[in-house]
Amino acid sequence: MRYGYSGKILRVDLATHKVWTETLSEEFYRLYPGGKALAAAILLQELAPGVDPLGPDNILILANGLLTGAPFSTATRFSAVARSPLTGGFGESEAGGFWGPELKLAGWEAIVMTGRSAEPVYLWIKDDQVEIRDARHLWRHDPEEAQAVIRQETGEKLARVLQIGLGAENLVRYGSLTNELRHFNGRSGMGAVMGSKHVKAVAVRGSGKYLDAAAEAPPLSEMGRRLAKAVKEHPSSWDLQVRGTPGLTAGLDAAGILPTRNFRQGSFEGVDGLRWETYEKELLSGRRSCFACAVRCKREVKVDDRYQVSDSYGGPEYETVAGFGSNCGIDDLQAVAKANELCNRYTMDSISASSAISFAMECFEHGLIGPKETGGLDLRFGNAGAMVACVEMIARREHIGDLLAEGTRRAAEAIGGDAPLFAMHVKGQELAMHDPRGKVGVGLGYAINEAGADHLTAVHDPMLANPDSLSFKGAQPLGITEALPPRELSARKAANYALMENWNSFERAIGLCFFGPTPRSFIPVDDVLTAVTAASGWEISAEDLLRIGERATNLARLFNVREGFTRRDDTLPERLFQPLENGALAGVAIPREEFEQTMTALYQLKGWDPLTTVPTRERLAELGLEWAADLVGVQPGQ
Amino acid sequence: MRVHLGGHLSWYDPQKRAWLELNQGGPIALLELVHRLGVPPAEIAVATVNRRAVDLETAVAANGDTVEFFTAVGGG
Repeated sequence: MRYGYSGKILRVDLATHKVWTETLSEEFYRLYPGGKALAAAILLQELAPGVDPLGPDNILILANGLLTGAPFSTATRFSAVARSPLTGGFGESEAGGFWGPELKLAGWEAIVMTGRSAEPVYLWIKDDQVEIRDARHLWRHDPEEAQAVIRQETGEKLARVLQIGLGAENLVRYGSLTNELRHFNGRSGMGAVMGSKHVKAVAVRGSGKYLDAAAEAPPLSEMGRRLAKAVKEHPSSWDLQVRGTPGLTAGLDAAGILPTRNFRQGSFEGVDGLRWETYEKELLSGRRSCFACAVRCKREVKVDDRYQVSDSYGGPEYETVAGFGSNCGIDDLQAVAKANELCNRYTMDSISASSAISFAMECFEHGLIGPKETGGLDLRFGNAGAMVACVEMIARREHIGDLLAEGTRRAAEAIGGDAPLFAMHVKGQELAMHDPRGKVGVGLGYAINEAGADHLTAVHDPMLANPDSLSFKGAQPLGITEALPPRELSARKAANYALMENWNSFERAIGLCFFGPTPRSFIPVDDVLTAVTAASGWEISAEDLLRIGERATNLARLFNVREGFTRRDDTLPERLFQPLENGALAGVAIPREEFEQTMTALYQLKGWDPLTTVPTRERLAELGLEWAADLVGVQPGQ
Repeated sequence: MRVHLGGHLSWYDPQKRAWLELNQGGPIALLELVHRLGVPPAEIAVATVNRRAVDLETAVAANGDTVEFFTAVGGG
């Protein structure tokens, strides 16, 4: 008997417009209980190596976790997974909002899309009824408009709509997905993959109830009530509710790790224009939440001043504030909010888009590109108007925007000269707005993550630096025993990193938000265990949870190995091995030799060959992944 | 003296204030200041006095100074 999940996968062949249902076994689901884990297993098994990420043969998987849609705070996430058009490797991105829970209530664990439709379509899913509908009239229309039309056509005012906008339709390689206009699978270009398949949207409405399928409903109900109150009783979740991520900006500047002018600097003289107090005064119009979540970390903004910013697409998160703000040398938060609105309207990842523009600004200032390429824009650091105009150019693929839409790695190769030194990416995916020179574990994560630079690969070092802190104590049940300085590179740091990578990977598999569980926030490990057991009926330990995360990461690694990735790809941009120019950490660089030694220790801890980064067959066998070893050709002793 | 409790540190203030105006008789050690404010030092990752990063263990501040305390940032 299965509990907490239906086991049903919706298969969609877009070339023939056929749909069918596949049912997963309990044995399979227990090893890969959704999200990243489930999607990675399917992708590795079914995608032939070397396919064009934007061609019809790529596979796009949208996968819920076991807990997605459970009625307690932060159980909202689903994963989008495919071969990434940005990196050519494992592509992965999670989102909250309402779409994943609605899909769960409609009775589906995942959707697997193959092929390409001849004409634009949208999927309409109402419980077990699935239709592929004409979307030619929606193509090129903004998400707000498309969502309204889809709800009218389906007669469901509460249909949850996952969709793409102009940027993803134009195959901007960091095209994103949006649901409810405000929640994004931002990274890895999953929106571009959906655009390449000519799928405008996936609308869903479900009539099920999560608790009806749970092994034991009362513990989940009790947890929902208790956690709703606990949000205000824990400092971190309370802060997320009051300020959200935009509250981070001033602290990172003070610490000397606020990415500024394309990561040359760690402190921005215009930070007062970007900090929370300015955000609250100039932008804030309200707060929103995801499904059943009391944290309510989402900011709403509206501006009618220097810029007009719609309140339909959500407010900028910290990453976007730093990306379009300090990292472009811009202190005008209204301009940042406008750039954010455009990224959300056109469904483009604001981290990659802003990084592409700061890269272009540095190229412009070095004379590698000029007004001829920029369509007349004076694309210098600090020019807010040019920055906003450049976002439009990327979405429409006009002038320099056409090149920047390819991502910084490809743009740098095309521009040539010193441009590759200005391209801040790993494996082709742009760095998030956290400078590893002040928290080196983030650098380990940027380097090793199979999807390229990602700041949520593991919890950040400062949270595990003080043994008396709430976050350190919260991580102890996971096996964290040593508090380590944020800039220490060592085998001990690799051990802490590996544990926290497995934990974050587990969160991505199970459908929990990074802002729920400890050590980042307020849900203790015991509650996570209770939730998994109550939902599924499985007796499970913290170690088991970590193995779920580790198993998923190994599948992603094997995917990359098969695509030809090597240790050379697990590195950082050269700039991070050079000293910061200003701020509290002026003169600080990542020591290259210690970094490489720590990476070697990390591979050994993971049971991967340090030279090739291929997981050993023995380690794969321990994780129950012999089938994957066979598939990729990992031999004993290799 | 202006004091900023950045990030989740303002949770520890009974009125949940992020900014406080304090009138100190004389210079005060930052550790003593956070003790009086009821903020656990273990939650503070960065301290600044007049925008300069300082050592929480040894720094002092006086009337007229702006003191800011920030938490460890865990991503987001």
